[in-house]
Amino acid sequence: MENLMFLAPEITVAATGLIILFIGVFMSPRAKNTLGYLATLGILAALGLTVQSFGIEATMFSGTVSIDALSQFFKLVFLAVSLIVSLASIKYNENSDHTEEFYALVLFATLGMMVVASSNDFILLFCAFELASFATYALAGFEKQNPKSLEGAMKYFVIGAVSSALMLFGISFVYGATGTTSIPLIAENASLLAANPIGLVAVVLLIAGFGFKMALVPFHMWAPDAYQGSPSVVSSLLAAGSKKMGFVAAFRVFLIALAALQPDWQFAFALLAVVTMTFGNVVAVSQTSVKRMLAYSSLAQAGYIAMAFVVMTPMALTGGIFYTLAHAFMKGGAFIAAAAVVWMITTQRTGDLEVPDHLNNFRGLGKRMPLAALCMTVFVFALAGIPLTSGFMAKIVLFSSAIQAGMTWLAVIAILNSALSLFYYARLVRYMYFLPPEGKKISLPFPYAAALLLAAAGVLAMGLWPEPFLQWAMDAAHVLI
Amino acid sequence: MLPVASLLILVPLIFAAVTFFTKTKTQAAGLAFLGSLATLGLTLYAYLKFDSSTAAMQFFESIEWIPSLGAKYSVGIDGISMPLILLNAIVIPFLILYSWNEDREAPNRFYGLILTMQAAVIGVFVALDFLVFYIFWELTLIPLFFMVNIWGGEKRVHASYKFFIYTHVASLVMLLGIFGLFYASWQQTGIPTFDIRELVSQFQFFESGLLRDAIFLSIIFGFLTKLPTFPFHSWLPDAYTEAPTAGSVLFILLKIGGYGLFRISLPMLPNTGSPRLIIMLLGFLGAFSILYGALVALRQKDLKRMIAYSSLSHMGFVILGSAGLVTLSVSGAMFQQFSHGLIMSILFMSAGAIQTNTGTRIINNLGGLAKKMPNLAVIMMLGFMASLGLPGLTGFIAEFLVLAFSYVNLPQFVLLALLAIVITAGYHLWAMQRAMFGVYNEKLGDVRDINSLQVFSMGIIALLVVYFGWNPNPVLNMMITNSEAIVSLAAALGV
Repeated sequence: MENLMFLAPEITVAATGLIILFIGVFMSPRAKNTLGYLATLGILAALGLTVQSFGIEATMFSGTVSIDALSQFFKLVFLAVSLIVSLASIKYNENSDHTEEFYALVLFATLGMMVVASSNDFILLFCAFELASFATYALAGFEKQNPKSLEGAMKYFVIGAVSSALMLFGISFVYGATGTTSIPLIAENASLLAANPIGLVAVVLLIAGFGFKMALVPFHMWAPDAYQGSPSVVSSLLAAGSKKMGFVAAFRVFLIALAALQPDWQFAFALLAVVTMTFGNVVAVSQTSVKRMLAYSSLAQAGYIAMAFVVMTPMALTGGIFYTLAHAFMKGGAFIAAAAVVWMITTQRTGDLEVPDHLNNFRGLGKRMPLAALCMTVFVFALAGIPLTSGFMAKIVLFSSAIQAGMTWLAVIAILNSALSLFYYARLVRYMYFLPPEGKKISLPFPYAAALLLAAAGVLAMGLWPEPFLQWAMDAAHVLI
Repeated sequence: MLPVASLLILVPLIFAAVTFFTKTKTQAAGLAFLGSLATLGLTLYAYLKFDSSTAAMQFFESIEWIPSLGAKYSVGIDGISMPLILLNAIVIPFLILYSWNEDREAPNRFYGLILTMQAAVIGVFVALDFLVFYIFWELTLIPLFFMVNIWGGEKRVHASYKFFIYTHVASLVMLLGIFGLFYASWQQTGIPTFDIRELVSQFQFFESGLLRDAIFLSIIFGFLTKLPTFPFHSWLPDAYTEAPTAGSVLFILLKIGGYGLFRISLPMLPNTGSPRLIIMLLGFLGAFSILYGALVALRQKDLKRMIAYSSLSHMGFVILGSAGLVTLSVSGAMFQQFSHGLIMSILFMSAGAIQTNTGTRIINNLGGLAKKMPNLAVIMMLGFMASLGLPGLTGFIAEFLVLAFSYVNLPQFVLLALLAIVITAGYHLWAMQRAMFGVYNEKLGDVRDINSLQVFSMGIIALLVVYFGWNPNPVLNMMITNSEAIVSLAAALGV
């Protein structure tokens, strides 16, 4: 009998989702507001269980599920994002008739991501990947009256479905060459794959499949539209959470299963990383929609994280894994802050209603919603890599690892990109603090405030006291190497 | 004993945080003034307890921070940092007094940023861990950026971004160098550490001369840009000129580039792959900056821009003296940093006062101001005299030490710099004569003199210029002690 206690976090999340879906049916819209708190509590419990299970090593269900430092670390990332998102969504879903669906979808998406983190087998990995993807497709199009939301969701779905197919195709090649879908067994039989030209085809298909989720250029086309069109709280989940699912899957697949083909994919990732970070930063400079800007900056950040696949030293992987958690807090938080502004603009009916997240709507935010502006400043400074924030620590470890490995060129490109990104982040801060406000002061609703403070606390904790997080990331990196 | 080094960062930082939340100008300025006085008090306490007969680190504190990277929060003060902390602590309260009567938007942010800047600069001076050092180094960018961007002159946006991006990129190159140092030493010893002194001493054991050169050059690039020196100076004239007066003075107090030279680069220099070549290069950059700055200053129409270029010229002495690598030339370079901070504060305050009271800074549109602004004229004259190196004032001591003792190793560059001395005297006197003396330009209308707070604050700094000009020992002694330690290292290696 398997010890199901190891899966307690997943079980908690799944059960909470099902319970919410069930009892929501019998509740009035007003009473449904409590569902958000229920979801938050469930996620909090799962978070506690995950932290408690740190240090456990186990494989379950005939070796298809692996509980190790890597899986637990990424579960922490997903649950943290999901916690922030569900907390902030309490306001977003106020008096809505579809609250239970929303939370159930968020929880199922989280569940899918968590299972991906633990997957040690291609079949399970694919199923969990799809679970998370389907839930997020629905969430992206959650505002059924909003054409932008639908357009984003449609793009996300179509491109997502194609890349899932590519991924599955890649998996089938791997299976054909090695005769197994188990990641450790593939690693053992890697010589079969390396000797066969099919191996190269499989690598290309898998990079395309995962590259879509990681939003690496040129598989990024959906990301700006989906991030901008989706409800901001969902964008937060997409950028901070589901993107990391692509990373954890890629870590396991490329670094463990396909390690023998390293020369093939290492070069591809080098190219993807450099192109992605440069493209993301350059395009972000000219954006006037803040969510779109964050979407492009999210591309850039994915480009940085992808450096871990290129450098591949323990230090680089530690940096990449640490970066995913750091990015979860700062990007998740930034989208929540954008959500608060969108809420403000739509309820006040002032400012640019066409594009509620327009840069102009952030004018004087420091006076209108001081807390939201302060937290947003913390997030964008962290994204830019200003010292004492999580982003700085993440960049220090990741970029410096490139120098350690003798890839100074990569570090130079990354650092120049980072300098460039400061330009558009600083512009946002300038709008918030140094331009006169257009409208009166508004008190920030509690759910937004709580989510923002939580994310800001995460950003600052990782910046000021990075040691425990670095240790966890190091343990996770040791699983891979 | 008090943890002075940490308090010197914390006190201004806490006062800055509170200042940001004040509502009125009086509250903001008053609180900032209190904060800067508290910092001054702490600094004087540290100064009195300071033992200038040893080059060892004093007031040392160290706490584990990120053990897995070997980063510690360690701070301390020695003869290299003490005078610079003193300079900051002295000038900032008077800077706040000087700008007390100015009306401006968002005074809470203005004064809050001044104190943040003070905390960041002192943080750089006391940091003994590269990560902490870099954090404070980058932190100095933010107040200065906003200072120029919000309260600056006409071209403030351009100037602020240029300054920000220029020096930020230079800092990033420096960061690459720091990483190189960190990993090479990690490989060497098997223990990660960011300790500045440890890494600087590990530097000599790296096998590849090329690697040592690359690390050294990328780190010094950050310092030379911040200092700045020719040819990395082009952010300076724009930023210094467009900044509000307080911002210009903060730029002047930003002595972190020169500090980095003494703390990090000079001890590493003898161990680089080709020290002679690098010394020649630095000597040339120093001497050429002196000459170039003076020549360009000569033809400036804008008084503030002229002062900005003269600042570039003065910074050349810091590099020339450092490259001289003799105890007294290095001490001269250190003293130049201290003296330049005081003198340039007076000059920028004067230029600022002229701008606010007459509405122009174009030298040819002024004239005979001494009649209407006698108080300003006296103080400004003293500042100009100190700046051109009149004996008896601080500028003379610094420049004399640098020129006289760099001659030992770098006679050719000293001769080059000597050329500039004549030009320096020329543009100072010429500007003074056109702006302050001669016939009063009636177009200016009725011009008021500077207010009593300004007389007081500029006067005190002017008195210090005179005092340290006659008696430099209170700060020069500790500089000499530390220069000896730096130079003996070079001498032992026969450089």
